[in-house]
Amino acid sequence: MAFIQAVLDGLMIGGVYAVISIGLTLVFGVMGIVNFAQAEFLMLGMFVAYFAWAYLGLDPLIGSILSFIVIFCIGFLVQRTLIQRVMKAPPVAQIFLTVGLLIVIENLALLAFGSSFRSVSTSYQTSSLRIGPLFVSVPYLAAFCMAVLSGFALWLFTDRSWYGQAMRATAQNPLAARLMGIDVERMQQIAFGLGVGLTAFGGAIVLPYFTVNPTVGSQFVVLMFTAVVLGGLGNVVGAVIGGLAVGVIQSLSALLFPIQLQNLVLFLVFIGVLALRPTGLVGSSR
Amino acid sequence: MKYWPYLLAALAVAVLLPLWLAPSGYLIRVLTLALLFAALGQAWNIVGGLANQISLGHAAFFGLGAYTSTLLLINFGLSPWIGMLAAAGIGALAAFVLSFPTMRLSGHYFALATLAFSEVLRVLASSWGSVTGGPAGLSVPFSPDSLLMLQFKSTRPYYYIILAALLIVTAIFVAIRRSALGYRLRAVKESISAAEVIGVDTARVKVIASVISAALTAALGVIYAQLTYFFDPDSVFGIISISIRIALITILGGVGTAIGPIIGSFLIVPLEELANLLLSSRAAGLSQLFFGILLIAIILVQPRGVLVLIRNIVTRARRRKPS
Amino acid sequence: MSTPLLELSGVSKNFGGLRALSDVSFRLDRPGIIGLIGPNGSGKSTLFNTLVGLHRADKGTILLSGTPIVGRKPHQIAAMGMTKTFQNVALFMDMTVIDNVVVGALLRNNVKEAHQWAMHCLERVGLAAIAGKTAGELSFPERARIEVARCLATRPTVLLLDEVMAALNSVEMEGIMALLRSLRDDGLGIIIVEHHMHAVMTLSERIIVLNFGKKIAEGSPQEISRHPDVVRAYLGREYAAGA
Repeated sequence: MAFIQAVLDGLMIGGVYAVISIGLTLVFGVMGIVNFAQAEFLMLGMFVAYFAWAYLGLDPLIGSILSFIVIFCIGFLVQRTLIQRVMKAPPVAQIFLTVGLLIVIENLALLAFGSSFRSVSTSYQTSSLRIGPLFVSVPYLAAFCMAVLSGFALWLFTDRSWYGQAMRATAQNPLAARLMGIDVERMQQIAFGLGVGLTAFGGAIVLPYFTVNPTVGSQFVVLMFTAVVLGGLGNVVGAVIGGLAVGVIQSLSALLFPIQLQNLVLFLVFIGVLALRPTGLVGSSR
Repeated sequence: MKYWPYLLAALAVAVLLPLWLAPSGYLIRVLTLALLFAALGQAWNIVGGLANQISLGHAAFFGLGAYTSTLLLINFGLSPWIGMLAAAGIGALAAFVLSFPTMRLSGHYFALATLAFSEVLRVLASSWGSVTGGPAGLSVPFSPDSLLMLQFKSTRPYYYIILAALLIVTAIFVAIRRSALGYRLRAVKESISAAEVIGVDTARVKVIASVISAALTAALGVIYAQLTYFFDPDSVFGIISISIRIALITILGGVGTAIGPIIGSFLIVPLEELANLLLSSRAAGLSQLFFGILLIAIILVQPRGVLVLIRNIVTRARRRKPS
Repeated sequence: MSTPLLELSGVSKNFGGLRALSDVSFRLDRPGIIGLIGPNGSGKSTLFNTLVGLHRADKGTILLSGTPIVGRKPHQIAAMGMTKTFQNVALFMDMTVIDNVVVGALLRNNVKEAHQWAMHCLERVGLAAIAGKTAGELSFPERARIEVARCLATRPTVLLLDEVMAALNSVEMEGIMALLRSLRDDGLGIIIVEHHMHAVMTLSERIIVLNFGKKIAEGSPQEISRHPDVVRAYLGREYAAGA
């Protein structure tokens, strides 16, 4: 029974990990770069939602939308001013640019917000529903629902809107897209903004049960990257499955291992997938 | 090589300078650290520069070295020199094992995998408290000044040992670059399939470079442990403090060149210390912020390093002069 | 009867659902030049890649000087004596011309000897003068010839040349053709893929024709030029019917 509860909890949180991971995989899918700073944008998203709660009284679930918008804009600008300059550069330049970005964002946050841990308190924070013998934590459930809604919105965007389709075209073949009249640079800026915005959104919706401080990103890095690699870098559906899988693996590991080793299992899965099937367990080779 | 006179002069300065400085003063400590990171950068240069395998996880080998020799010292009283041999062996073995899952990876994927590996080791070191002392770290047991036990009260002897280490690692780098291995690594860097088709065993070549680099890095980890007397998982397995700093130093100075890591280290380490002195007291994170901005600036302005940057500026200045 | 230089039996290679090569068999008995022709997509480059080990044949056997090589890595096959050039020319662009050839020469020499042997190979292809230039600066025909020199440096017994004559003028082409003949006289087995029909017909003692991954004809240049299946493959059914 504890096992099933763990799986359920894992799936709930996995839904959120899925949204966070979609952001990362989107960036790789459209632009071909691994954004090592992705988790920092998550942290910024959490801060936006926190301040929206602290100063505007907004529930984090609503604040998360604000997070998305703010971080989308920041991401758009970052891509336009910095990352665009290394799009044609060798991987070493791309890797170290986003690593540099990681350091800059985290330390700017440290300077601006200080290192203290903050958390929100909502009315439903500690309540949970009962479904038969199982418990479903309400904040988990709320976050999961938001995650599903955002996933649906994303699907609408990429499948039904012109921008979404143009982005997919850019991901598959930038040259052909350009020849079709698509402004590839604009698409990449949108994609990057969308990617970090989604990850930020994901961070915001879990604010009720996470404390936030400038270093919180590091807690999510392993999760994000493992989910994305499991699903295949660039594969959005894969990121969803990967996110759910990571949630479940993490939850089960908490059941079996002491707390420090939980992430170890994820790391090993991560390395294992990279070794055996770098293109991910879902879908075809890229 | 037309630079011989300058190199000899620099070497002379390097050898004589410490005699003028306070043997345990702040200045000599900064210089010693700069030498250590130059050596680390040079070891990384073997894979990052010659083979173009961007490793973000060299801290793995550094930490393995520090822990191996210190544990041997604590538990068996073995001299750190023997510890260094053991560390090099363990580092080499770790690189060898790591090469299997990473063989077919390159670029971003490879960087991710090396990062994950070093994080695995950090988490292990932190949680396996009974063996490694856990998050609290390890202290090197005290012994009076002794070359055999690689322990000295003042910094000056460490300076010379590390200077020698830097010269050795640089010599190894240059030797590899000139050897058949060097040619093959450069070929693999450019085109794996073309290299394979003309007879280069690309897998073997990559593994050899990786193993040598790891062994040297681990050995340097031993020296670090002896120098600082104390370390913990975050300091020796640190992503930013070790892995990224090593790579940054080499890239700043000029990745793939023998002098690159040395220039890079002597620019960055003193700068960082200066930033720490001036800025850390103002606010936490300011000196690291500076580090991050520097990294971004290098990548955007001239990813091939300071030397190329200077050369380009000089060339452009010469073109403007009337003949 | 001495061992054939190269012998293929029933070689097939699939990529997912695509049958890139189907049951290809032929033999190279002794030093000579064989032409490999066929329309685009007929499997010529796939055959070369399979021969040197970049792809693994799904079915069939390949014997190089009598030894089976299916499943071996390209560097092993190169050590055994077979290598190839790349259609899009894969030189090491950041390295000098001589260093490019040295990498090949290192297969059977130490560093010092490799330099001398590499120089010799460059002289053989007539490009010793540009040994110091960076490969990235060269023109396409020069790069193609450097690739040949690099292959020669590995001292092969079988050499596969993938469109080395593309973008050459007639003077350069005569030069390459003379080079290939002299290599054959030295004992090399050479298989060339070319779209310059004149060159292929003049150089080759024998021609193999591929279409849709299958060998549809094999014979002397005269036989092939009149072969109805070949004509049909290249020019279409109506033309063949009228020929």
